[in-house]
Amino acid sequence: MTRLVFHNFIRSNSVKIGLLFLLLTGIISLFIGKQFLEKQKQNIIETDVYQKEQISRNVEFHKDDIGLLLYYLKFSLVNKTPEITGLSIGQRDVNASIKSVSILGLEGQKYDTELNNPYNLLLGNLDFSFVLIFLFPLVIIAFTFNIISEEKESGTWRIVSVQSKTSFKIILQLFLVRFLSILGVFLLIFFLAIPILNIPINASFWGFMGMSIGYILVWFGICFGVASLHKNSNFNAVILFSIWIFLIIILPATVNNYLVSTYPVPEALETTLQQRKGYHEKWDMDKKTTMDKFFAHYPQFKNFPKPENGFNWLWYYAMQQMGDDESAQYAKELQEKLEQRTMVSSNIARFIPTLHMQIQLNEIAKSGLKNQLNFLEATNKFHEKNRLYFYPKIFKSESVESENWKAFQIENFSDEKFSNSMGLYVPLLVFILFFGVFGWFNFNKNKGLV
Amino acid sequence: MSYEILTAKLFWKTAFKNKAVFLLTLFIGVLLVYAAYTGWSNFKTQNEIRTKYQAEARKDWLSNPDKHPHRMAHYGHFAFRPKAPLSVFDFGMESFFGSMIFLEAHKQNTVNFSEASFSTGMLRFGEISIAMILQVLLPLLIFFIGFGAIATERQNGTLKILLSQGLTWRSLILGKSLGIIAVVMTLFVPIVLTMIGLCFILQESDFSKDEIFRLFLIIVFYFIYLGIFCVVAVLISAVSKTSKTALTSLIGIWLFFTIILPRASQALGSSIYETPSKAKFTSAIHKDVLQFGDSHNPNDPYYKKLKDSLLAVYKVDSLKKLPFNYSGYQMREGEKISANIYNQHYDQLLNIYEKQNSFSKAMAFVNPFMAIKNISMALSSTDFASFTDFQKQAEKYRYHLAQEMNELQMKYISNDAEGSSGKKHILDKKHWEEVEEFEYKPSNISLVFKNELISFFAFAFWIVLLVFFSNKLSKTLKAI
Repeated sequence: MTRLVFHNFIRSNSVKIGLLFLLLTGIISLFIGKQFLEKQKQNIIETDVYQKEQISRNVEFHKDDIGLLLYYLKFSLVNKTPEITGLSIGQRDVNASIKSVSILGLEGQKYDTELNNPYNLLLGNLDFSFVLIFLFPLVIIAFTFNIISEEKESGTWRIVSVQSKTSFKIILQLFLVRFLSILGVFLLIFFLAIPILNIPINASFWGFMGMSIGYILVWFGICFGVASLHKNSNFNAVILFSIWIFLIIILPATVNNYLVSTYPVPEALETTLQQRKGYHEKWDMDKKTTMDKFFAHYPQFKNFPKPENGFNWLWYYAMQQMGDDESAQYAKELQEKLEQRTMVSSNIARFIPTLHMQIQLNEIAKSGLKNQLNFLEATNKFHEKNRLYFYPKIFKSESVESENWKAFQIENFSDEKFSNSMGLYVPLLVFILFFGVFGWFNFNKNKGLV
Repeated sequence: MSYEILTAKLFWKTAFKNKAVFLLTLFIGVLLVYAAYTGWSNFKTQNEIRTKYQAEARKDWLSNPDKHPHRMAHYGHFAFRPKAPLSVFDFGMESFFGSMIFLEAHKQNTVNFSEASFSTGMLRFGEISIAMILQVLLPLLIFFIGFGAIATERQNGTLKILLSQGLTWRSLILGKSLGIIAVVMTLFVPIVLTMIGLCFILQESDFSKDEIFRLFLIIVFYFIYLGIFCVVAVLISAVSKTSKTALTSLIGIWLFFTIILPRASQALGSSIYETPSKAKFTSAIHKDVLQFGDSHNPNDPYYKKLKDSLLAVYKVDSLKKLPFNYSGYQMREGEKISANIYNQHYDQLLNIYEKQNSFSKAMAFVNPFMAIKNISMALSSTDFASFTDFQKQAEKYRYHLAQEMNELQMKYISNDAEGSSGKKHILDKKHWEEVEEFEYKPSNISLVFKNELISFFAFAFWIVLLVFFSNKLSKTLKAI
């Protein structure tokens, strides 16, 4: 019986078009993901070349002044892009994946942006997460909105339901066939992603897949629930499409507006202003004030000769340090505000499957705000490490030649941790269960209607 | 003409008898209020924040004591990008633009802290602004109202009767279109009034002629835009056998216009014309600057020639004897060279962006949604051109700030000074006030006409196209 239903279903032209449409956009999205990954690789190669170039050129020019040399040198930290990011590019196009920072004040360099065409950002990437979150539900709706109503409208439903003992079983079969064909297309695209994007098969991979299947089921659940109301095809189409618009466009955008107006981020501007002041005003102050603060922060440098008159690198770098130290409180507030935003949005997202998917897929693909915050944190550590390495050398005026400058390659940060927790699936499961039970209940209650 | 009006009136009446239409209209109305409110409150908060920090940055600058002017050149200033008043209506690309830029000597910084950089990723679903509702949701409402306009009459058999009573296809199409437009006006007119009201409140009646003209054009073009969708709905309904086919075709068209085409065309543009990496961009500028002349290299031919010619002109044998500060002079030259080279590279970058966007712009001929999006953003000053305008003004300010400090150094600082620290070679702080505060001057509307010419043409094209099809179909359509 199921086989017959399947043959019936797959013969239809509109079904072939629907499945082909998903397959095609899915494959295009994989190549867009691939292009993104290659661009990232290219950026890293270019950054590497540039870092080597500028180090060797500056070492050449400032052979006898290590303090001046380190005023110019920039060191890069790369936020590693795992292959799975190709499936969900998320915020990676907005936020820089490479930070090139000198050992001067960090707060003035940390937030510098990549080169971006805002039009690209505005219209968004056609990545796989878009195909999955936006387009899959549309085809699911197109396949199921008239599942029973069509047969009823053409008068064939009575024949079908008379021939079978339980019409509910037929309904389930009709849905099952559609689910299996959509699932088939999804799995085909998803497994094509392995060779195209070189995705390693690990927990993230399975997590991504599990959530995607859950999401597809949510939409089948919604369609099942609506079909159980036994309305006509036009009504079903309008209702299902309205739900789609509501979940994909209106609700997320409303939440976004709410978040933006409830959590503005003036801390960012405050931090930048304070770091400028914190550093620059020290030029006009007594050297001792600066040095006392600096030695309080780094007691290990106390024994270096205190600067007296005129310019001195120890004093200069202490002043730079003050830019960071005196804006640290605001930088922390900024970070806390952003963490708050992440938390609030993932909490709200639990109740909106589309949002939940986008945020969690970005999380799995390491392309969300959390990843960016982790990367900024890693940049802090990277910068501090470089500082502490070079400070004593500068303060002792070591010779430039004594350092092996070739050793300063770009460094990598990788945000590997991923836990396949139940929290990812529960919001989806609740939706599936709710609509499933709702549909089941209605179908059984309205047996007479059929 | 009376036939058309009659048909329109009838349509209007039946449309509002439909509970679903009434509820949808109401819902969109509520959404509009929310959009207007959040747009307005965000505009207010952001501009308050930015004005506050702009003033604080200026205060910090002025509170500097007497010091060497080069220290001030590095102290620098900040430019905060004010949100345009019409951004309340259309957020455009606002969320993807940075809000502040640090302006200092020798260095062109990026405009940092965009809303997108603080976003968790939900921004990608879009934002609710009045413009978004007009661009995306109203066309859909039009399609929901209009899909049955003619197809239902055909299905019910009433179409035959209407036509046999002497109603022509022409008046039928026109009448139904007018009917849908009338229904949509129940939302559009209040929106227009609210917008005008909001703008006057925001500006405290300090509304420039330029802005009034912008607002006027926005209203006109949105009216045309919605009109296009009304006619499309009626035409599709007229060619469809059943109302179901009409509905599904219209939904398909809507999805294609608003969801799929925009992303696809931009993806095509950005994959063909690749944006350079920042490392490549910076290193190219660096190389060009070094090639021109390297002020760090004592034997650099460019600066050596400069020195020799100065010594010859002033008939002195050492730089210390020049009547002005040589180091200031050299920095002035260096700034001129590097700023020039930077601007050239930056223009090249903008050129790449323009090429990337050319697909989306040309798409306006296929997709009226792109036409209105581009025109609306440009008129609301939330498009990329407005942003680059800010960036260019900020860069100009930065350049002048650096050069003013260099000139002060040339004029007042002795050639005996070594470096810029210490209390010996310093300048009176009264000079800091001489540097004017940064103030962004909004661009003129003529820029919109220049940049969005193609979108204006697209609108003309769409009008001609629909008139053509209406005429053609009037002659060939059948009642069954």
